[in-house]
Parts: sequence; C-alpha cells; structure tokens
Amino acid sequence: MVPPQWYLLLATAVFCIGVLGILTRRNALIFLMSVELMLNAANINLVYFSQFWGNVTGQTFSLFTLALAAAEVAIGIGIILVLYRNFDDVDVTKAVTMRW
Amino acid sequence: MSSPELKSDISYTRGLAALALFVVMAAVVIGANFGAGQGYPGDANLTASIGYAMFNVGIEGISGQTLVDSEGFLVAFEIIDLVLVAALAGAVLLARRERSESVTAMLADGGRELKRTIRGDSSNDDTADRAHDGGDQ
Repeated sequence: MVPPQWYLLLATAVFCIGVLGILTRRNALIFLMSVELMLNAANINLVYFSQFWGNVTGQTFSLFTLALAAAEVAIGIGIILVLYRNFDDVDVTKAVTMRW
Repeated sequence: MSSPELKSDISYTRGLAALALFVVMAAVVIGANFGAGQGYPGDANLTASIGYAMFNVGIEGISGQTLVDSEGFLVAFEIIDLVLVAALAGAVLLARRERSESVTAMLADGGRELKRTIRGDSSNDDTADRAHDGGDQ
C-alpha cells in the first residue's frame, strides 16, 4: 500500500494550486475551476482514507461532494453569465457595487 | 495566430502566500504518523457496497459476495437531490433572457429591457442594441 503521506501531498498540492488560482487571477471562470480543484483535493483524501481504513464511507461521501460541485458549477456559470451581461467582462474585480 | 503564454500581470505576493501554505501543509503531512492501514478485503465488491451504503441497505443479510461496511447515506442522497434541482432551477432563472418588466429582468440582464421601456425607445433601437450586443450575451 502506498503510504498516506504521498496521497496527502498530492491533495495538498492540488488544493494549493486552487488557492493560487483564486488569489492571483481575476477571471471568474478561472475562479470556478480553482474552487473545483480545491473540492477535488478533498475528494482525493476521502477516497484514499476510505481505502486506508477499509470502509466505503469516504468513497460514498466523495460522490456527494461531486454532486455538490456540479450544483455549484451550475449556479456559478449562471452568475458568470449575468456578470458578463452587466459588465461586458468576467473580471471579478469590476463588480464592486450591489446595484448599477 | 497567438501562442499560449504564461500570465505575467498576476500578484506574485499572493502567489507566494499560496506557496507558503503548501510548504506548511506539506511539512505537517510528512511529519504525521497514521499507523498501519487495513485496506479492503481482496475480493470485496466495492461498487455494490457503495450502492448499499447510499440507500441505507444493511449488508448483514446479503450473502454471496464480500461487502465492505459503511454508514448510511439515504438522507444525504435526498438532500443532494433537492440541492441539484434547486441549482438547476436557479441556473435557468439566472441564464434566461427576460423580456418583460419584471424583477427577474432586473436580475438577469441588469434591467436593460426595463430601462429601455421607461425611456420609451422604439423597437428599432431595441433591435440595433441587440445587434450591437453581439447576440452572445
């Protein structure tokens, strides 16, 4: 069995790439992709520790995380669409007012 | 034709913050002790086990295959069902182009149609405006 440290390092790297994307980029679509990376980093841990402890709870839970990610993307794309309609751009720093 | 290139107008300070987070988390992970794992039985039917776990079916009375224990997820399944339907409805509500003077118009297109109606612009202007928008909005 591969030691847990390798899987955790992989998940940490994926999570930090997601954090990097959110902190450095201004494109709303990149934001959405970065959030997905962070969610999937959690999934890697869930699936690995599910196998580590010989129990499928983590694997089943990761399926629900994927479904939640799909719901989040559906709403996220809708919000980005409205953002583009109103600001003619998907730059998240341009939307600074509640009304325009 | 332009070739792909790395983004250069990003904040490097924030990038370093993410890198520092990785270094700290990696140091903690490498230094942690998780003990010995037990793993799944060699002949375990994982797909069936996940299916039974998802619908709260107990595995005690099921014979003929090796199943893996889990908690029940029926309530979570129903909740995620509602969340997905709500997300679908929300996405459609946000994405559709509303042509009437409703609150949804304000939400979905910033009230452009409503403003146009209040200003009393003609339908020709409306068509021209749409053409100017490029039709992709």
